[in-house]
Amino acid sequence: MVAAARLTDVKKTYRTDHLEVAAVRGISLEIEPAAFMSIAGPSGSGKTTLLNLLGALDTPTSGMIAVGERSTVGLSARELADFRNAHLGFVFQTFNLVPVLTARENVELPLQLQGLADRAERRTRVEAILREVGLGEMMDRRPNELSGGQQQRVAIARALVKGPSLVLADEPTANLDTATAHEIMDLMREMNARAGTTFVFSTHDPLVMDHATRVVHLRDGLVESDERREPGRAH
Amino acid sequence: MPTEARAGGGGLGVRLTLRLAWRNLRRNRRRTWITATTVALAVMLLQLEVATIIGVERQSMDNLIWYQTGHAKVFAAGYFPERDELPLDRVIADAAGLARRLDAIPGLAAAAPRIVFAAQLSDGRDQVPCTGIGIDLEGGETEVFRIPQAVAAGTFLAAGQPGMLVGSGLAELFGVRPGGWLTVVAKTRHGAYEALELPIVGLVGTGNPDIDRSSFFVPLATASRMLAMDSGATEISIRFGSAAGQQATLDRVRSALATEPGLEVLGWRDLEQDYLAMATAERINNGIVLGIFVLLGVVGVANTVMLAAFERTREIGMLMALGLRSAGIRVIFVAEGALLGFLGAAVGTALAVGVMIPYAAYGLNLTALYGEIDLGYPVSDRLYGAIDGTALGVTLLLTAVLSAIASFYPALRASRQRPAEALRHV
Repeated sequence: MVAAARLTDVKKTYRTDHLEVAAVRGISLEIEPAAFMSIAGPSGSGKTTLLNLLGALDTPTSGMIAVGERSTVGLSARELADFRNAHLGFVFQTFNLVPVLTARENVELPLQLQGLADRAERRTRVEAILREVGLGEMMDRRPNELSGGQQQRVAIARALVKGPSLVLADEPTANLDTATAHEIMDLMREMNARAGTTFVFSTHDPLVMDHATRVVHLRDGLVESDERREPGRAH
Repeated sequence: MPTEARAGGGGLGVRLTLRLAWRNLRRNRRRTWITATTVALAVMLLQLEVATIIGVERQSMDNLIWYQTGHAKVFAAGYFPERDELPLDRVIADAAGLARRLDAIPGLAAAAPRIVFAAQLSDGRDQVPCTGIGIDLEGGETEVFRIPQAVAAGTFLAAGQPGMLVGSGLAELFGVRPGGWLTVVAKTRHGAYEALELPIVGLVGTGNPDIDRSSFFVPLATASRMLAMDSGATEISIRFGSAAGQQATLDRVRSALATEPGLEVLGWRDLEQDYLAMATAERINNGIVLGIFVLLGVVGVANTVMLAAFERTREIGMLMALGLRSAGIRVIFVAEGALLGFLGAAVGTALAVGVMIPYAAYGLNLTALYGEIDLGYPVSDRLYGAIDGTALGVTLLLTAVLSAIASFYPALRASRQRPAEALRHV
């Protein structure tokens, strides 16, 4: 079976004129399809860097990265953009919705970027996914008219609407209260189970980690532990 | 490596790009309006200046046609290259007969013979070199030209009555008024000097310095007798019937005279090549100055786009994460700059049109404002702006294009960020 994503001895070193920081120091991981995986670790452990590398938002100093059967190493900026557009979905800590667009328009954005010209089909898909995340009645609201949890639901809908093979979420619950955080994790888990989409999310919240089927702990840019578990729910 | 082909070309499409640009401009309304106001003021002044230039040029052309060139002139062959010398040895024989024949050409309103000659005017103390113009008071002169309408004091010449009309500037120079006398001294066609004392019946103020400052008019018969021209004239001036089809009428005149090798026909544009060249040079000069003015306005647009791009760094990172290519990021900010420039230009143009309407209808009395000034153009003391839809539209679009160009550098900077770094921006 082809892995959803594979990292082989990936290193990332940031260099400035006077400073060299090894953020990721040789990580190898194989992420199975339909995984609901958490990357955990303290601040500075390399979680965000690893997610950025996996999400083709940054390029490794060395090593190999593949999503599905496609390697992302050596691609040009334009090819990486097209790759992200075709295969990846993102959920961010600060939601990162376009404030001047409604929920519907925000979710429609990736489809327009994919060049889906059929307006009716775009509308159908957008409305379906927004209903799935529980925002059927709030489609025409702008982000500033939505709560944090609702905004993150829009972000999840935006990540999933194009049917990506891999969704990457960087601390998706960090800006939410505990109850909303669990709702968001439940929603992501539900989407993961329903569509078989692979989710990889970073967190340092043990309660959030409880939702994961696999938890990879990082420390100082290296994998400290890789633990598979039955997902629970701690309140 | 395979790349992902996209029907949308990795961009947002025109409609969404414009919608985003419009809404983003409304995000920081105060900043948008401050910038748009700067552009609007620059464009308003530009539009008014353009209206003035077009107005001056139209008035100048009308002035030249109504007072100096008519729509066309017939000369004896070889006269035109030597026109500055005002030669009397290259003459159209039986000019009145030829004028009558020309009158019959379809599309031609009137034809009038003239004798234009070099002369000295004297009041007994001073002598001033100037141009004498003999005009046919019984032919089509008053249909070809509007000299009677330009009489500022006294009366127009009367057939069979001795007298002269003097340019208002020339009269001022001599300190004479209607009722006074001046002596005309000129060489006849055969080279002999002739002097003739004539009463001033009126003063002519056309706004055309060539006429007002250095010309006088006498009846054609007077000039003919004085200069021994017999039935000859130095030119036949022509007016066409309507503005449309002027070239066709000119061609018909040329065809009609094709069998007479001793004559040549020139349209007013050929006659006033020097003026047209000067007007083009003036237009270029004004264009450069005004272009710099608008550039200063669009620098404000570039600054606003730069600030917007900086403030929205994380949003740029998010759009890149979604798969928007660098070119798509550039398009967003260039469109925003273009729209901002267009908005300012539209407001400026609307304000300018509001001023132009009375400016075109009532004009601006330059003499009342500045006294006697020389604009370098043959225009009267009242200047009328011209409302020209093409000029308004071109200026509007040009401002939007310049704003887009000015926005390109901040857009380029925004698009060169790496997505991971842009997303980290606080």
